[in-house]
Amino acid sequence: MRRMARSEAPIMVVLDRLVLLLMLAIVAAILTAAMILQYAFGEIPCPLCLLQRVALFGCCFGLIQQLRAEGSERGSGIGLVFALLLLVISVRQTLLDLFPRPDHAYIGSAVLGMHMEVWSVLVAVALLLGFAIRFALFGAPRAAPDADGSLVHRCARGLELYVVLICVLNFVSVVLQCGLGECHTFGYRLL
Amino acid sequence: MMAGIFAVLLIAFVLNFSGLRRLAVSCLLVSLALCVGLFLWEIYSPEYGFRMPWLQVDLERAFAPIGSS
Repeated sequence: MRRMARSEAPIMVVLDRLVLLLMLAIVAAILTAAMILQYAFGEIPCPLCLLQRVALFGCCFGLIQQLRAEGSERGSGIGLVFALLLLVISVRQTLLDLFPRPDHAYIGSAVLGMHMEVWSVLVAVALLLGFAIRFALFGAPRAAPDADGSLVHRCARGLELYVVLICVLNFVSVVLQCGLGECHTFGYRLL
Repeated sequence: MMAGIFAVLLIAFVLNFSGLRRLAVSCLLVSLALCVGLFLWEIYSPEYGFRMPWLQVDLERAFAPIGSS
């Protein structure tokens, strides 16, 4: 049986960290794109769209925790839970808007022919696949924490700061759109 | 409610950034619980419940006996 304290070969650990960093960068880019669509193209998000953003932030949180972890897979577990939540919410929203009828139709404009909730389904599946591939390829390697000055550590810290910044922007945006009540796509309640 | 979810989420990120990981995970779990609650509230309809009656399948054709068409 493998001992818990043992560290894996350095190359496997570095590759594992790079996969986690790549996943975090992609999720952060998706959240940035959502903000750009909201403010540059005037697409106000619906309540389920905002809940999908929460799920994406949860995935970011899990990935950040995993990047700092030494021998625990808690971060991956958190990421998987939120990826599953993203899948459930986006599939339900896709099924809600699948057949246009009064008060129900796809919200916003299509990107490459697909609407945001359909993209969310793909993103959720890609995240689940990413975690699965990571486990399959690297078997969740146990490693000593990265040194403070290492490139991976600096990139992880920078991305973490960026995700916190997007979270602040999203919080302000949600307060402007919804106030303390229900969210609507008509406009910003506090503007 | 949505603002509350994002507020708790932001607190979780700030705590995690500050190194208070256990407290951060606790906040994240609160955010998850609120998120699931709001999701169920959003999709519940007084008329249909959680059903989606606009999704119909043609059972008659699927179970028609062979050679009846």
